[in-house]
Amino acid sequence: MSGKDRIEIFPSRMAQTIMKARLKGAQTGRNLLKKKSDALTLRFRQILKKIIETKMLMGEVMREAAFSLAEAKFTAGDFSTTVIQNVNKAQVKVRAKKDNVAGVTLPVFEHYQEGGDSYELTGLARGGEQLAKLKRNYAKAVELLVELASLQVGGRKKRRELLVSYCSEMETSFVTLDEAIKITNRRVNAIEHVIIPRIERTLSYIITELDEREREEFYRLKKIQEKKKVLKEKSEKERELRRAAGGEHEPANLLAEEKDEDLLFE
Amino acid sequence: MPGYSEFYFNVDHGYLEGLVRGFKAGILTSADYVNLAECETLEDLKLHLQTTDYGNFLANETGPLTISTIDDKLKAKLLTEFHYFRNHAFEPLATFLNFITYSYMIDNVILLITGTLHQRPIAELVPKCHPLGSFEQMEAVSIASSPTELFNAILVDTPLVLVQQPWHIPKSPPPHYKIRVSISHLLIMQWKSYLEAFYKFCEKQGGTTAEIMRPILEFEADRRAFIITINSFGTELSKDDREKLYPTCGKLYPEGLHLLANADDYEQVKAVADCYAEYKAVFEGVGSGTGEKTLEDAFFEHEVKLNVLAFNNQFHFGVFYAYVKLKEQECRNIVWIAECISQRHRTKINNYIPIF
Repeated sequence: MSGKDRIEIFPSRMAQTIMKARLKGAQTGRNLLKKKSDALTLRFRQILKKIIETKMLMGEVMREAAFSLAEAKFTAGDFSTTVIQNVNKAQVKVRAKKDNVAGVTLPVFEHYQEGGDSYELTGLARGGEQLAKLKRNYAKAVELLVELASLQVGGRKKRRELLVSYCSEMETSFVTLDEAIKITNRRVNAIEHVIIPRIERTLSYIITELDEREREEFYRLKKIQEKKKVLKEKSEKERELRRAAGGEHEPANLLAEEKDEDLLFE
Repeated sequence: MPGYSEFYFNVDHGYLEGLVRGFKAGILTSADYVNLAECETLEDLKLHLQTTDYGNFLANETGPLTISTIDDKLKAKLLTEFHYFRNHAFEPLATFLNFITYSYMIDNVILLITGTLHQRPIAELVPKCHPLGSFEQMEAVSIASSPTELFNAILVDTPLVLVQQPWHIPKSPPPHYKIRVSISHLLIMQWKSYLEAFYKFCEKQGGTTAEIMRPILEFEADRRAFIITINSFGTELSKDDREKLYPTCGKLYPEGLHLLANADDYEQVKAVADCYAEYKAVFEGVGSGTGEKTLEDAFFEHEVKLNVLAFNNQFHFGVFYAYVKLKEQECRNIVWIAECISQRHRTKINNYIPIF
C-alpha cells in the first residue's frame, strides 16, 4: 500500500491545525479543478459539433467548387497555364490569434484578403462569368478550410507551429484540447483519491496520538493518586501504632488556648 | 473566282472537301450524347465512344482513365485529321487552313511570353501549348529579350507577321498585375487583328467562301465585343481601352461598338443587342439564374448553328473551318459529360450543346 502512507509529522496540536488547513486547501483546489474540467469539456463538445458540421459543409463546398471548375473549363478553355504563370503573392492570408478557454490558450486562425484580385482580367475574352463563379466558390472553400483548421488546431496548443492544418492529416491533433481535459481530470482524481485521503489519514493519526497521550497522562495521574493513597494509609497506620504505644503526644498547638508556661504575668 | 466556283473548285480541293464531309458524318449526334450521359463511369464512356467514329482511340491507355487523358486523345485525333488536310492542301486552301491555326498560335505565343517573363524553363512551357498552333520557332520565343527583337527575329518568319499589330510588350517588368493586364490586352489585341486579317482574306477569296465565312466571322467579332463588355464591368478597364479591344469586322461596327463602349451594365448591353435581329434572339434565350442558360452558352449555340449551316453549301472553304470548330465543341461536350460523371454531379449533365 505504498503511496497511501500518511505524512510523517510530529503529532501536536499545531500540526493538527496545519493539517486541517491543508485539507481545506486540497478540497478547494479539487473543486476549482473540477470546474475547469467541466468548462473544458463543454468547450470540447461545442468544438466537436462545429467540426462535424463544418466537415459536412466542406464536402459539399469542395464538390461545388470542383464542379464550377469543370464548368469554367467548358466555357473558357484551358486557363490553367495562365493561372499558374501568374501566381506571385498570396492574396488570401491567415492570421493567428490566441483564444483563452478556462486557462488553456488555443490558436484561432482568421483569414484576410490582401491586395486586389489579380485574376480580374483572366476571363475577359471568354468564360468570365464562370471564372467569377469559380473564384467565389474556391474562396468559400478556402474560408471553410481556415475555419476547420483553427477548430482542429485548437487542439494542438502544445505544438508551437501554427501551420494551417488540413482535415485528413490532422484528425488526431484534436487530441490536445482532449489532453488538457485529461490532465485536469487526472489532477482532480489525484487530489481526490490520493492527496486528500493521505491528509485525512495524517489527521486521524495525529488525533489518535493526541488522544493516546491524553489517556496516558490521565492514567499516570490516576496511578499517582493511587500511590499517594496507599502511602497515606500506610503512614496513618504507623501513627496509630505509635499512639497506641504511648510516647507520642500531640505536638504542641500554638493556637490552643492553654496556659502558656513561659508567660510570667497573666 | 466569284460565282463560278462550281467549275474549278473540285480540281484542287474536291478530294479534301469530300474527306471533310465524311468526317462531318462522324460527328456525334444527340442520340450519342444521350447514351454518353447515361454512363455511370468513365469506362462506360470509353465503351460508348468505341461504337462511334472515335473507335479505339483510348484503347492503348493503361492505368486509370482520367479526364485529361480523354481530352488529350480527343485533341490528338482532331490534330491528325487537320494535319492531313493541311498536308494535302493547295493554295489558297493552304492559307485558309493556316489562318485557322493562327488563333492557336497566338495563344501559344502569349503563353510562352508570359512564361518567359516569369522565368520558367522553356521545356516546361512547350508541352502546354496547343498542338494545333505549333510552329518551328516556338522555342526561340524565350530567347528574345525585347519586343522588337521578338518581332524582328522570330515572328517575322512565322505566319504571324500577317497579324500586323505592334506587340506592345513592356520592356522592363512592371508590377505583376500590370504585366497580367498588358498580357491579356496583348492577347485580345492579337485576336482582334487576327479576326480582321482573316475577314479580309475571306473577302478576297470571294464567291461562296466569302458568303459562308462572313456571317461566321462577323458573329465571332461581335461575340467577343459583347463578352469583353460584360466581363469588364467592375474591373479597372476604362471605356476607351475597352473600345480599342473590339474587333471591327462585325455587324456592330461602328455604331454598335460605340454604344457598347459606353454601356455600364448588362441592361444597356442587351438594349444594344436588341437593335440587331439575330443578337436579340440570342439574348432572349438567356436567363440570369444559375439553372438557366448563360450568355456564353447561348453564344456557343449560335456559333454551332452557323457552323452547321456552312455544310449546306458546296465548293467553299467554310466547311473546313466549320468542321474544326464543331469538333472542338464536341471535344468540350465530351469532356463536360465525363467531368459530370466522374464528379457524380449529374444535375447539369445535359448542359452540353448538341450539334446534330
